[in-house]
Amino acid sequence: MFEHLLNGFAVALQPMNLLIALVGCLVGTLIGVLPGLGPTATLAMLIPLVFSMPPATAMILLTSVYYGSMYGGSTTSILVNIPGESASVITCKDGNQMARQGRAGPALAIAAIGSFIAGTFAVLVLTLVGAPVAGYALNFGPPEFFALMVFGLCTVASLTGSDVVKSVLTTCFGLMIATVGIDLVSGAPRFTFGNPFLQDGIDFVVVAIGMFAFTEVIVTAIEVREGTRAEVIKAERIWLTWEEFKYSLASICRGTVFGFIVGMLPGAGATLSTFIAYNLEKRICKNPERLGTGDIRGVANPESANNAASGASLVPLLTLGIPGGGATAVMLGALMMLDITPGPLLFEKHGAMVWALIASMYVGNTLLLILNWPLVNVFARVMSVPAKYLMPIVLVISTIGVWSLSYSSVDLLLAAGAGIIGYYLRRNKYPIEPLILGLILGSRMEQAYRQALIISKGSNLIFFTKPISLALLLGAVLFLFLPTLLAKAKQFQAARAVSEGAA
Amino acid sequence: MRVLLSVPASRQRSPRRRDGDVRVTLVSASVKSSTRTRLEGLAILLVAGGYLWEAHNVPDLFQMPGVPGPTTFPYLLGIVFAVAGLWLLASPADLLARRRQPATEGRAEERPTPSKSFGARLAAEWHFYTMWAVVVGYLAFMPFVGFPVATFVLLVVFTFLLGEERWWVVLGLALVVTTVIHLGFAKGLNVRLPLGVLESLLK
Repeated sequence: MFEHLLNGFAVALQPMNLLIALVGCLVGTLIGVLPGLGPTATLAMLIPLVFSMPPATAMILLTSVYYGSMYGGSTTSILVNIPGESASVITCKDGNQMARQGRAGPALAIAAIGSFIAGTFAVLVLTLVGAPVAGYALNFGPPEFFALMVFGLCTVASLTGSDVVKSVLTTCFGLMIATVGIDLVSGAPRFTFGNPFLQDGIDFVVVAIGMFAFTEVIVTAIEVREGTRAEVIKAERIWLTWEEFKYSLASICRGTVFGFIVGMLPGAGATLSTFIAYNLEKRICKNPERLGTGDIRGVANPESANNAASGASLVPLLTLGIPGGGATAVMLGALMMLDITPGPLLFEKHGAMVWALIASMYVGNTLLLILNWPLVNVFARVMSVPAKYLMPIVLVISTIGVWSLSYSSVDLLLAAGAGIIGYYLRRNKYPIEPLILGLILGSRMEQAYRQALIISKGSNLIFFTKPISLALLLGAVLFLFLPTLLAKAKQFQAARAVSEGAA
Repeated sequence: MRVLLSVPASRQRSPRRRDGDVRVTLVSASVKSSTRTRLEGLAILLVAGGYLWEAHNVPDLFQMPGVPGPTTFPYLLGIVFAVAGLWLLASPADLLARRRQPATEGRAEERPTPSKSFGARLAAEWHFYTMWAVVVGYLAFMPFVGFPVATFVLLVVFTFLLGEERWWVVLGLALVVTTVIHLGFAKGLNVRLPLGVLESLLK
């Protein structure tokens, strides 16, 4: 394993790849700093650019942007009280309080150190468990893979939305879009309405840019018209005292471990991991009443959790081919466009690329720590670029991203349609991530389903007779309905308490 | 993702209401929301019906005996989609909540407040509709008008809609950004951007 890792470092430390990692970290941090532009939309916009790159270089760029955005998100949470991306929402609580008390520097420093420790831990675990998990998954046949994809889609559907039915609907809608085009097995054109442009299917990048980037532009544009910009607090000193570090070290460790465990689940993502880690921290730590009032542990814990979760979400992506959320789903799509199918065979077939990617994540983490800590005030200044100038530019670049895929006006119209539908879904609390995931996994899922049915001679019972498949399907049902049942139980208890109180 | 931390000015300025008024508004909002959910359910059922109909129309010649064909998976998806749409249409949770509500309560409250007419909504939210119209127009006509002209017009209109009223800033920014992006992508990254109406002029 260490030989593979050393070879990976040899690739990751090539001047070109190092430069790409540096650019990716910078771009990612800027994306994280800018409210209104998330990592998923940015990764979708970058995909047309990575076509011409070697796979290792392309993945180094995408992962460093993803990592960078997780680092950058904390800066605006602390200095401006606006989370740069959703995983930094919880950091606002203590981070901005610290900044108002004149302790912005230590808050930013602990965010950077916590992120570094958590990110490195996540990559270390990925290094150790990646190949063994992939090796175990080699025992999976079509029924197990179908069940695994159902499990992934159900956990994403369950954890990303507030209403399970709406999540199931968007997942299903994504899978339905994936069936458009020529059926690869029989050659039958499906849902093309006689349009030759639809025979190749609908590219997930078109839908992702429409639903994430265009929607984001309009949402931000409306907020620009209605809202006001918050004040940016400048960090006077950026160093951390030894006492402050010692005080927050346990919180970093807890955030890292909880964040990693939650982040491994498909769909949980970095955002949920920060909320869970912070709530657990409140129950475990000494003097929990201090959290929320400008306690440094309230920054250290969620920032460690979100970076650990980001790294953890790459474990199911690389070993099983199941992405954890929107950003990793886009990465999966990028890999597939580069003719690489993530899954158990990835470590065997494309070992050089995977180990270079893992090595580049160690490098990226270090680069982010070196870059971001001293340059934090420079990044914070990016916040002062008015959104009224920035958003139209994002719109134009997103359009080029769609156009450059196949130079087709049909793609542009499909992206416009996806934008309008995405806006409606977002306003009415239909989660978009399951739709993108369904669209990306759709063809592989259909393939596994049909192969399983061929093996069983048309009987669906095959999914229930194989133990792994059965366990995964039961897990999927549990994930889908348990949150609703728990919420109902809570409502029932609350209603009973009220009725008893009234009596 | 952005989180709104400030209360919009329009909400801050609204006069203080009595408790009863607030309850009426809340109930009418929930009635409005459940009606919308049902309409969404109906739309989803229609889409599912259309999808299943299209799946049914896939010619039989692609179907080999004893092997799951090109319609097997779409049928499964269409049925799940339709069932979920039916669930929204029926909104059983909403029905149960209404049944639990005492008969004395609610009758007067369920009268929805008169909603704004389409014209009034259009007048209040014209910025929003114009922004979408501009985006869709840009995406529809860019390949024909050409990237430079379409992008210049888009930037001018969009920046103006976002509140920049200094014409020299709007025009200058649009010109600089269009030129930089066009040169960067067309020359730097070899992306074939359509020149449209400028084709004869620039080539």
